[in-house]
Amino acid sequence: MAELEQEIKTLVSRIIKIDESRIDPDANIFIEYGVDSLLGVEILAGLDKKYGVDIPEQKIREIKSLNDIIRIAKELIAKKA
Amino acid sequence: MSGTSDYWRKMIRADEPASIDFLKEFRSPLEIFRPLFFAILNLLCRSYFRIKVIGFENIPKAPPYIIAPNHSSALDQTMVSCAIGRERREQLYTLAVKHFYDRPFARVFMKIAANVMRIDSQEDFFPALQAAVKVLKLGKSIYINPEGTRSESGGLLPFRVGVGLLAAETGVPIVPVYINGTFRSMPPGSVFPKPSRVTVSFGEPIYMDEYIKRKQAEMAYDVYKAITDELFKRVSSLKVGQEDL
Repeated sequence: MAELEQEIKTLVSRIIKIDESRIDPDANIFIEYGVDSLLGVEILAGLDKKYGVDIPEQKIREIKSLNDIIRIAKELIAKKA
Repeated sequence: MSGTSDYWRKMIRADEPASIDFLKEFRSPLEIFRPLFFAILNLLCRSYFRIKVIGFENIPKAPPYIIAPNHSSALDQTMVSCAIGRERREQLYTLAVKHFYDRPFARVFMKIAANVMRIDSQEDFFPALQAAVKVLKLGKSIYINPEGTRSESGGLLPFRVGVGLLAAETGVPIVPVYINGTFRSMPPGSVFPKPSRVTVSFGEPIYMDEYIKRKQAEMAYDVYKAITDELFKRVSSLKVGQEDL
């Protein structure tokens, strides 16, 4: 599971173009890292391409931080397995 | 599946009706000063910035369309507004994030200069794209920076795929635009523009018919990416030969 968390962190870091070491996993990604609609599309598509997970709209609304993305992705991947 | 068009259409609420009342909330009484503002700006554009407009005929005669320029200076949108003329300017809407819009001076300036939509992008992934969809469905045009942010070096940044998604799911053409000279005049961090020649080049629109067909056979995201790549290619080609103007 730690490996999965790291993979998701790397994926998001690559998309938002901020070094992993500089990302606070609890920080608000919209305020601190400038994530917007355009980047949001790429994060969701990246998770779909890598893990085949489809984050539903109500779950997307829960996303505020990297840890939220990791938690939701993990839930969906576990459900899929 | 998020690889399908249906998933993304739901996310950006592409199938929901849009009411004309939605646009009213983004209009302002300060617009009364807009003709005066642009009369002064047009003089400045001709004298101080020696603005040159290339490819004006490439802008579709009627909205909706997406104006997609590079972004390297706070002057960019003002220069495009100057270049497109009053009629098209009045039909053009732009998105401003809450934290920028809520600065008092910026807010007054934006309300006078443009039809600005205040977006609370700190709450959700999709408010900006949802608002843009509504505007386009109501037959207006959208100004959107495909780089998503201002370039600190003046060079082009990678374009974000959300622009391709917006165009593909609304069927609206994208007009590639390259703005040259604004970075030299007023790069990020400077507060006052230096006199400089500014060139605004409009490329041929990218129409969506072919891409809408491709969505039936390919993953939707791959089609959005193909549109975005084509846009990047066209903006880059408008840039060629302009560095020394």
